Amino acid sequence: MSAEITPVVVRLKLSLLRNGLRQSGGRRAAYIASAVVTLLFAALQLLGLIALRGHAHVESLIVLLVAVLGLGWAVMPLFFPSGDETLDPTRLVMLPLRPRPLVRALLAASLVGIGPLFTLCLFAGSVIAVAHGAVAWAVGAVGVVLALLVCVALARAVAAANVALLTSRKGRDLAVLSGLVVAVGAQLVNFGAQRLGSAGLAQLDPVADVLRWVPPASAIGAVDSASDGSYGVAAAQLATGVAALVALLAVWARHLTRLMTSPDGSTLQAAETAARERTSTGLSRLLPGGRTGTVMERSLRYVWRDPKTKAAWVTSLAIGLIVPVFNAWQGTGSVWFACFAAGMLGIQMYNQFGQDTSAFWMVAMTISGTRDAYAELRARALALLVITLPYATLVTVLTTAMLGDWPKLPGALGLSFALLGAMLATGAWTSARFPYSIPQEGYKNVAPGQTGLAWISIFGGLVAAALLCSPVIALAVWLNASADGDRWAWLLLPVGAGYGAAVTVLGLRLAAPRTARRLPEILSAVSKG
Amino acid sequence: MVGISAVRVQGLWKRFGQQIAVAGIDLELPAGKFIGLVGPNGAGKTTTLSMVTGLLRPDQGTVEVVGHDVWRDPVQVKARIGVLPEGLRLFERLSGRELLGYTGRLRGLPGAEVDKRATQLLDVLDLAGAQHKLVVDYSTGMRKKIGLAAALLHNPEVLFLDEPFEGVDPVSAQTIRGVLERYTASGATVVFSSHVMELVESLCDWVAVMAAGRIRAHGSLAEVRGDAPSLQRAFLELVGANGRDTVSDLDWLGGGAR
Repeated sequence: MSAEITPVVVRLKLSLLRNGLRQSGGRRAAYIASAVVTLLFAALQLLGLIALRGHAHVESLIVLLVAVLGLGWAVMPLFFPSGDETLDPTRLVMLPLRPRPLVRALLAASLVGIGPLFTLCLFAGSVIAVAHGAVAWAVGAVGVVLALLVCVALARAVAAANVALLTSRKGRDLAVLSGLVVAVGAQLVNFGAQRLGSAGLAQLDPVADVLRWVPPASAIGAVDSASDGSYGVAAAQLATGVAALVALLAVWARHLTRLMTSPDGSTLQAAETAARERTSTGLSRLLPGGRTGTVMERSLRYVWRDPKTKAAWVTSLAIGLIVPVFNAWQGTGSVWFACFAAGMLGIQMYNQFGQDTSAFWMVAMTISGTRDAYAELRARALALLVITLPYATLVTVLTTAMLGDWPKLPGALGLSFALLGAMLATGAWTSARFPYSIPQEGYKNVAPGQTGLAWISIFGGLVAAALLCSPVIALAVWLNASADGDRWAWLLLPVGAGYGAAVTVLGLRLAAPRTARRLPEILSAVSKG
Repeated sequence: MVGISAVRVQGLWKRFGQQIAVAGIDLELPAGKFIGLVGPNGAGKTTTLSMVTGLLRPDQGTVEVVGHDVWRDPVQVKARIGVLPEGLRLFERLSGRELLGYTGRLRGLPGAEVDKRATQLLDVLDLAGAQHKLVVDYSTGMRKKIGLAAALLHNPEVLFLDEPFEGVDPVSAQTIRGVLERYTASGATVVFSSHVMELVESLCDWVAVMAAGRIRAHGSLAEVRGDAPSLQRAFLELVGANGRDTVSDLDWLGGGAR
């Protein structure tokens, strides 16, 4: 075939983009909104960088920015192996294509999209911030294009090299954890920005001295070198960028060739992987018998084995610990903040059946009345308590220890337990009344079209839980305010614990008949993922 | 049990928005038979089986399984039926053995008995080697087999299987077939849906043909087949797809010139 395929592939990418948007109004709105936000953000960056022009340490800042962006391009394909079908070599495998023109065409297609546009804006801003003199501007023009190509080639090479991982179950499990990566990354960026704000840009210089030689940052670093008149250094930095680009393209082309000429990895993999013996972990011996123990065991296994459930739990555990403990550490906290842990963990009781996905039918087939439904819900609550009760206690004790406010410990524990009970009760009830699907792929936690349902379930539940807790909260406030309240503060612990337990049982009792009556409706609500 | 049919369906309707999936089905399935529910894709087979097994609420109509109403008497019905649905997940993050242990115990069987039956089912269905692998890593055939094992574990009177052979390799299909034949020989009833006529013809002794949400014919295999040479022919005539000739337009296909 002699026809040039680059325009064909680029057109294919544009059609796929257009057709994707045509599928639904919501999707189009989401895409346009994200595009607008991204471009606004890019424009702000651009303005910021232009404003920084002439600042003493700006060259260090931009080198770091470009390096971070490059890192982002490198890890992005691992966590967001999204539906860019033009870049999926397995779709092209039946076509008679040579690697070299194919790489060229795919590289061109990769440049179409919001991501590359955003990157381009940022690189252009970086050049504007540091370029002084005609030579620097010329180097800048080359550097921007080079840096962008390096970024795109980097992402493609990483994706092609890891295609076996990305198409396997482990890879998809990894992608589910992407939300966590974003959250943690945002925290790190936030932390870094605060440090910079207080200590100044000069701090970056040592890091930047290394990064200015690492592609793609070297391509933009060359602009700064050219501005200083060190043309030799600039040329060397550009050469590093070019070398990196050539190397990445070679790696990409080699993996692409191998992918397109060897059998699909998924068929090979099914044959090997010796099954690891999964003997009983002794867990079942500790749990009660009957339905209760069976359901608890499955729930606890899912916390560890199901990526979606695991991600939700890790988030809850981490935030439940971080908020009270960090606040206590900075001296701004209070012992009462420790109740946050109980609240965060109680959220896991929400949408119990949605967490089952359509496998809920297996549960539905064994529930033939209110009694079964009650046993099922109670077992799920108990499984949750196995983790939550010690954890909430630990967080509360830890927070108290850091603040040294021991007299308040019984009160905070009591309130935590009451809150936990209220969350379990409302969680059980909303699980039966407002179930929704949790998509198993990707980072979303609500199936399209069920967002309203999820909001009602979670926020309605939270408000209801707070209201349910109000007697205990009132008691705590009253004991705190009254003159000899401290003498009776210990009372909050038994009262809170007892109240929490009673509310939980009540919630389960109310939820059970509703669950038993609505089995088909729950099944259809949770099967949309 | 003479006189009581395995399944009795009366005036069953289901509508999804504008689409009528099941348009008033009356059907009586005899007990102790190997029963095939056949029809093209979209005929309403899955919807019907879901309503019969209590997984989907009908808009109208009644369903009785071995004499008990599915919606009024779920205690009696759920203990007596086994189900292998199509398009619904299993608890895939359990290993095959764990899944059977979980299902059996939820069904209220004693733990030791569950483990004994699970071992035998895993052996017979040729899953013993993969019993400690997570179900999420199973192939389609293995999933169908572990689903079948889970449905059989409590020794139900009536077994409902939605497309049990879809996407299953010939070896697994033969295994499934062997288990089902042994099961019906003991007097139990199997109801399964399929659109592969040869399969239905070779397995079933009683057939119901569905198209566009209605039952077009039902009865013993010989009755439904009538004078036609095969069930396939009889089926195409029943759903009105016979004699459609689209081949003459493709005169360029095959032969010498490209």
